[in-house]
Amino acid sequence: MEKFGYLLLAGLTNGSVYGLIGLSLSIIYGSSRVINFAQGDFVMLGAMSAILFVTTAALPWPAALVAVALVVGAVALFLDYGVYRPMIRRNAPPLTIMMGTMGAAIIIYGLALLVWGPDQQFVPAILSIEPIFIGALITNPQQLAIIAFFALFLFATWYVLYRTRFGLSVRATGVNPKVAVLMGIRSERVVQFSFLFSALVSATSGIIVGPLLGGQIGMGLLLTVKGFMAAILGGLGSPFASAAGGVAIGMMEALMAGYGTSLYAEPAIFLLILLVLFIRPYGLLGDFEAERR
Amino acid sequence: MTSIPKPASILPVLVVLALGACLPLILSGGFQLRLATLVWIYAILSMGFNLLYGYSGQISLGQQTFFAIGAYTFAMLQTKAGWPASAAIGGSMALCAGMALLIGIPLLRLRTHYLAMATLAFGLIFFGVAMRWIDFTGGSAGISVPPLKVGGENVARLPLYYVILACAGIVLLLHDFIIRSHVGRALQAIRDDDTAAAALGVDVIRYKLRIFVLAAVLACVAGICFSLLALRVDPSMSEFRVIVAILTVAVVGGLGTRFGPIIGSIFVIVVPQLLVQFGELETLVYGLCILAFLIFLPHGLSGVMERFDWRRLTGRAAPQGQRDGKTG
Repeated sequence: MEKFGYLLLAGLTNGSVYGLIGLSLSIIYGSSRVINFAQGDFVMLGAMSAILFVTTAALPWPAALVAVALVVGAVALFLDYGVYRPMIRRNAPPLTIMMGTMGAAIIIYGLALLVWGPDQQFVPAILSIEPIFIGALITNPQQLAIIAFFALFLFATWYVLYRTRFGLSVRATGVNPKVAVLMGIRSERVVQFSFLFSALVSATSGIIVGPLLGGQIGMGLLLTVKGFMAAILGGLGSPFASAAGGVAIGMMEALMAGYGTSLYAEPAIFLLILLVLFIRPYGLLGDFEAERR
Repeated sequence: MTSIPKPASILPVLVVLALGACLPLILSGGFQLRLATLVWIYAILSMGFNLLYGYSGQISLGQQTFFAIGAYTFAMLQTKAGWPASAAIGGSMALCAGMALLIGIPLLRLRTHYLAMATLAFGLIFFGVAMRWIDFTGGSAGISVPPLKVGGENVARLPLYYVILACAGIVLLLHDFIIRSHVGRALQAIRDDDTAAAALGVDVIRYKLRIFVLAAVLACVAGICFSLLALRVDPSMSEFRVIVAILTVAVVGGLGTRFGPIIGSIFVIVVPQLLVQFGELETLVYGLCILAFLIFLPHGLSGVMERFDWRRLTGRAAPQGQRDGKTG
């Protein structure tokens, strides 16, 4: 029973990260119909810049966090001005734009290789990673912080989308970009916001999960794929469904690794996602996209 | 000079192959020959991808997996099952075809980014299993591949180059034949609009599946050629880096062009050699090229060459009508 609880907590931790990536992908997809292949690389950038600013440059945490935010913000703007806008102006289809973001992911990886090298590095922890006990469960503050941030970002996303005037225009763009433009919504600004917001969400999850996963510049790719699977499982159309999909994947992965072997955890989850895609092509919870087609 | 497009002739294909056959005469040293061999291997690999993505619009980010599976099967059938090389080649092609059929039937129901991510997930899982299932695959060290033998003697580098060139030649003719035949037109119809293609009587599912299997078999052939050159197969053959190289070939050479895969392969093999003193820059340069070509030259170098007005070199301007027809 203790093992079960421990595995669930570990699954919730990883699941929160997958969920935040899924949520980020879904926000960008909602406003631009583009799958951002570089989303996992924002997690990598968050973790690796934390090393750069805290360990190498020895900045205090608040200053380091601002510096990390500036780095990922700049990269997000590069995606917007360097990839999305030139391609949309040339009427590129969404799949080609996705290939463009993949090109951007490779560029980010190439730059990161120059800065950090290929080896796995230790990411400094904001909170301690000393084990603490909650009842019978062993955990650590860092793990709890990830789950707390997951909840916080879910709330923030909900608040921005449903309780602000700007969120209304984001949702309107998601429903029909052309009509939204006719109604006077600046869709480019909405897309820019979605790139910036999702970059910050992903980078934050990278800073927090970095000490647990270890920082390595190649970590982005697998995270992008898992985040995408999370978004598929829940439904790409809704950020919250995507986040829920991430938690589900994290849990399944942890349980399968705990009771079976970690060798087969990934193939098994992949098969499961495929099954979901065949039975419910728009995700378990997402009817949003199905309605629009 | 009529404006009716001429049927593309087979002549350029033969010229390319003849150039390939003469190439060893001007190359000095084993290293350059190795690079030339690699160009043809990447050309085989990329022609499959070109048919799949460039002509049919079905993106697969799992081609590197078939590249590796082909090599692994080829090696294992020889070392573990004791098959002769010729049977191992047939066996590994059959296995790749069967595997592509098996995963293609469910996967090809997916479209665009769903298909891309699903095939990529397939590739990442294969990589993970190849790394971790050490008893069977040899882990990250891989397994060694017995060299190709003719009459009991190992084939030297130059004959091996010609063997691989012959493979590439067959694949190039096949690639060209498919593009020029009704199959190629059906595939392009599927790429442009699969509903419309189905309405015109194209069996969309069957064509997608056929081309997916063909691309997998071509990747398998490339994998076998690569393992004969490297004499070792390890999980790095199925790394993400390989699909990045294939994508760079496709985008730089030109998606959906006849000679894009060859031009792109030359680019991908030769440019890193020029950058060799900046070894770590390779990935960055690939990324920049993919992005720049996607934005500014979506038809790649091959598209530039096709649109270039060759007659201007000889001093005669092309007739107006034809120039319009070509740019349109």
